[in-house]
Amino acid sequence: MYDSIKEIVEDSKKQNKPISELIIEQECKSSGLSRDEVWAKMKKNLDTMRAAVEKGQKGKGVFSKTGLTGGEAVKIKEYRENKKTLCGDTMMEAIQDAISTNEVNASMGVVCATPTAGSAGTLPGIVFMLENRLGLSEEQMIRFLFTAGGLGMVMANHAGIAGATGGCQAEVGSASAMGAAAAVEAAGGTAEQSSQALAMAIANLLGLVCDPVAGLVEVPCVKRNAIGSGNALISADMALAGCISKIPADECIEALAKVGHGLPESLRETGLGGLAGTPTGKRIRAKIFGDAE
Amino acid sequence: MSGNYRSVFDIIGPIMIGPSSSHTAGPVAIGQAANKLFGGVPKKVTVHYYGSFAQTHRGHGTDYALAAGLQGFAADDPRVPRAPMIAKDNGVDIRFVEEEGESPIGHPNTAILDMSNGDKKVQVSGCSIGGGAIEIRDIVLDGSEIKPSGPLPIVIYLYKEEKHENGIPVTTEMEKVAPFSRKQVIRAKDEDIYVYDVKNYMRDETVKALKDKFGSIICL
Repeated sequence: MYDSIKEIVEDSKKQNKPISELIIEQECKSSGLSRDEVWAKMKKNLDTMRAAVEKGQKGKGVFSKTGLTGGEAVKIKEYRENKKTLCGDTMMEAIQDAISTNEVNASMGVVCATPTAGSAGTLPGIVFMLENRLGLSEEQMIRFLFTAGGLGMVMANHAGIAGATGGCQAEVGSASAMGAAAAVEAAGGTAEQSSQALAMAIANLLGLVCDPVAGLVEVPCVKRNAIGSGNALISADMALAGCISKIPADECIEALAKVGHGLPESLRETGLGGLAGTPTGKRIRAKIFGDAE
Repeated sequence: MSGNYRSVFDIIGPIMIGPSSSHTAGPVAIGQAANKLFGGVPKKVTVHYYGSFAQTHRGHGTDYALAAGLQGFAADDPRVPRAPMIAKDNGVDIRFVEEEGESPIGHPNTAILDMSNGDKKVQVSGCSIGGGAIEIRDIVLDGSEIKPSGPLPIVIYLYKEEKHENGIPVTTEMEKVAPFSRKQVIRAKDEDIYVYDVKNYMRDETVKALKDKFGSIICL
């Protein structure tokens, strides 16, 4: 099993195969499943992601039980239809799909965790926008997920992917890095460029804390996925342009792990610090749970 | 190493009911493991939460997730959010306690489940390490404490028969179909408890074949 981004990039060069292919082969070998079975499993994940994206922007949208989040994917959709956006329509499409997915998650709908439920919007934000922008086929989209997942495994094994141990940088940060690298492959970039995109995406979100208001995966989690997708696309474009991260990808992952360990407990998914600890954050908690913990 | 993720589907997946993979999907998996170790749905369960679980279980739906897993529901089962009501209707009493201080098994997302039905008692200590993946770090079964390495799959077999000098048939079979990194044997009152930390995820067919061959084998 691959233990570093460096090994993956070297193998890709040596074997002249894209990262997605190496990860499919690794999965078949470790699970004992056939290529068709592994492929079908990933297709089901992609279908689940698409269903969540569509659900969150139908009609008036979806709303969480607390009423803290919901309906904003629809607002973005209408804004795109009626106004000239500042980021451009491509970026706004990614943001809309990312938010849509996490609104569905907050409303206890069905999502595919990528790598976590709190960060489930980041990859869909990227992959469905690329489907339109680059005309990706279903095969390319499934490959996108293998690449993202394979690189995510290295990140998860070295730095973890739980907000409670590593902060949001380990969740949305990881998702963004995985997505940046996979976007590079989808756009025809090399494995080396994927590793550059991954490194830059991590560097841009390093230190991001996990501070859910009232302990709910709503504020700020839903909108954090917008920056996850956006940062992935920015990092992928920089890598495709030939920009280089001075710090190699594997060292960025180690830095992410160390920063995570250094975060105080109040900023690791306890709902105590950061935005959760603001006067408004505390008021929301008291209102929802009837106490002022 | 911070984690023990061995499949691309640990990262892309699981498909689940929201809102949190570590605080919802993970607890479903801890509940499922507890159900298997108890050998069905217990009558009475006290859940002790530590760390982030103690602080945020209500917001994350951790309570309904554990109740769902205890009843054998999957993470994407639409009944997950209603699981506590379903448990109550079936006469299953589940209580949740927010504990202060450090987790006894050293992870901020810890749940310790005390399960009983009359004289039968089982304790399971699990933690949710992120993305829906869990570890089971401590089990008290038939009064004996078991300490697996943590990551799943874990296979447990209670061996009640006379000793075999050349090992037991389960070990021979496991070596063939599910290579393990560690085997522990715990000498209990009426039996020997064999615990295997399995290297790779097991296919459904492998689990089924093991169960067909060794009825009471527990595959977490």
